[in-house]
Amino acid sequence: MNIKDYLKDRTLFLLIHFMLFTIAWGIMLLIEMSAHIIILIFCIWFLPVFSFIITEFIKQKNFYNEVTNIMNDLDIKYLLSEIIKEPEFIEGKFLYDLLKQANKDMHEHVKKYKDMESEYREYIETWVHEIKTPIASARLIIDNNQDEVTKNINYEIKKIEEYIEQVLYYSRSNNVSKDYIIKEISLTTLVRNAIKRNSRDFISRKISIDMEAVEGTVYGDAKWLEFILNQVIGNSIKYIREKGGKIKVYAVKNENNIALTVEDNGIGIIDNDINRVFEKGFTGENGRKFGRSTGIGLYLCKKLSDQLGLGLNLTSKIGEGTKVSIIFPLGKVNLMS
Amino acid sequence: MSKIIIIEDAETIREELRTFLTKYGYEVVAPTNFEHIIEYTLSEEPDLILLDINLPVFDGYYICREIRKSSDVPIIVVTSRDNEMDELMSMNLGADDFITKPYNTQILLARITSILRRIQGVHIQDIITYNDLKFNLSNGSIIYKGNSAELTKNEIKILSCLIKNKGKIVSRDDLMDFMWNSDIFVDDNNLSVNITRLRKKLEEVGMKESIETRRGLGYILP
Repeated sequence: MNIKDYLKDRTLFLLIHFMLFTIAWGIMLLIEMSAHIIILIFCIWFLPVFSFIITEFIKQKNFYNEVTNIMNDLDIKYLLSEIIKEPEFIEGKFLYDLLKQANKDMHEHVKKYKDMESEYREYIETWVHEIKTPIASARLIIDNNQDEVTKNINYEIKKIEEYIEQVLYYSRSNNVSKDYIIKEISLTTLVRNAIKRNSRDFISRKISIDMEAVEGTVYGDAKWLEFILNQVIGNSIKYIREKGGKIKVYAVKNENNIALTVEDNGIGIIDNDINRVFEKGFTGENGRKFGRSTGIGLYLCKKLSDQLGLGLNLTSKIGEGTKVSIIFPLGKVNLMS
Repeated sequence: MSKIIIIEDAETIREELRTFLTKYGYEVVAPTNFEHIIEYTLSEEPDLILLDINLPVFDGYYICREIRKSSDVPIIVVTSRDNEMDELMSMNLGADDFITKPYNTQILLARITSILRRIQGVHIQDIITYNDLKFNLSNGSIIYKGNSAELTKNEIKILSCLIKNKGKIVSRDDLMDFMWNSDIFVDDNNLSVNITRLRKKLEEVGMKESIETRRGLGYILP
């Protein structure tokens, strides 16, 4: 706020004073008053007017400067009304009260949606746990009655399970509360588990797997990591070439991180699509061609990695294959061992 | 014969699990009344307990804690709640293992055997027979009419899978899947090589019946 803007805002007030004074001046000239007295009256008239305007200006300027400074420093801007002091001038007081009311209303509104979201999330979690019981039953029935038909049903049920798992992690990925436990995990076990989960596909599509160079330990949540790796390997399998499919998993220890890379010799991703693979719902060229993509898998992986503080990189060459790396930063704990 | 108690309220799972474990030679008790489940379980003196977490009357954690107060019987917690927190909680309350539903039955079986073996010693469940062949799973030796041979890890898996499915054709894919699930990631060529070696060893100990190949279908022990 500067003085010019402030005076502009007070134009009408000043104009009326000048007009009134001009009229008074005219009358004074008519009754032939001396110039000295007219100047004196001018001073008596305008001194209080200007001093009033200036004190008001200083008061308001101080207040608004303070508010602006607070606003700039504030992380969560909508908390402004909780922090500023109540102003001493009347318009300020009035606005302050309105702002407080509006803010309160907004908080209630936000809370309503927060509650709705957490209720929905709780429901999803319960649902996921409930649906696992009939699935477990179905799996047991299949195991007790093994033949070609049940084998195929089993395969489909496994797919259902994967979709259900996706739902669970989707709802978890949106939550601020952290329901994961970070502990030391052996990369070998992690990779083995993820590969075992996809064993049927590896075998039936004759994809060879090379995981010789996986070693070392990292810190993370075993369940979350297995989910991420499973999605990545699942993608590799999905887009592997028809003959001579090969997936290589290896870990490289760099100066300040460990990178776990899944490399396939699949169809690859075109350059235009590469930067968008982590976007939600993005299916790209391959998705259109193969029609088996939901655009959720990699999006979720990225989101979960972010929450765990891991990096996720993807590079690809069309026709040659795709490389996805999970980057585990090395903290003090890792460096000590 | 080891006795297993299944504490599980979902009827299908309970009954199918009973069928499944009975088939693998366990004595199975599956109570349907959960009012006095702790006293009942203790009075049955089982060798192992499969415990669900979400149960009527008392939850699994409570049951686990109460049983631990007076017994060291191995407990495997089987639940559909799968996060690390539940696992940690179960372990803290004295459970021996934690498996999430829906589980791979082979894995469940493997965990059960390994816990029982640890608790009771080697003598249980570890020798399977096929006609005159005695096959010791724990050290991988086969004995046929006084002749013996040692099998490798891969051969052990193949032979045990074929013996368990004797009289039925096991496809190459199924055989490989079985091995993959035991952390042996063999490929097509490896499998053929292993089968050939296994055949040779069976021949060397003088076994007449051998692994037959059914072209396009798989392998069978008649």
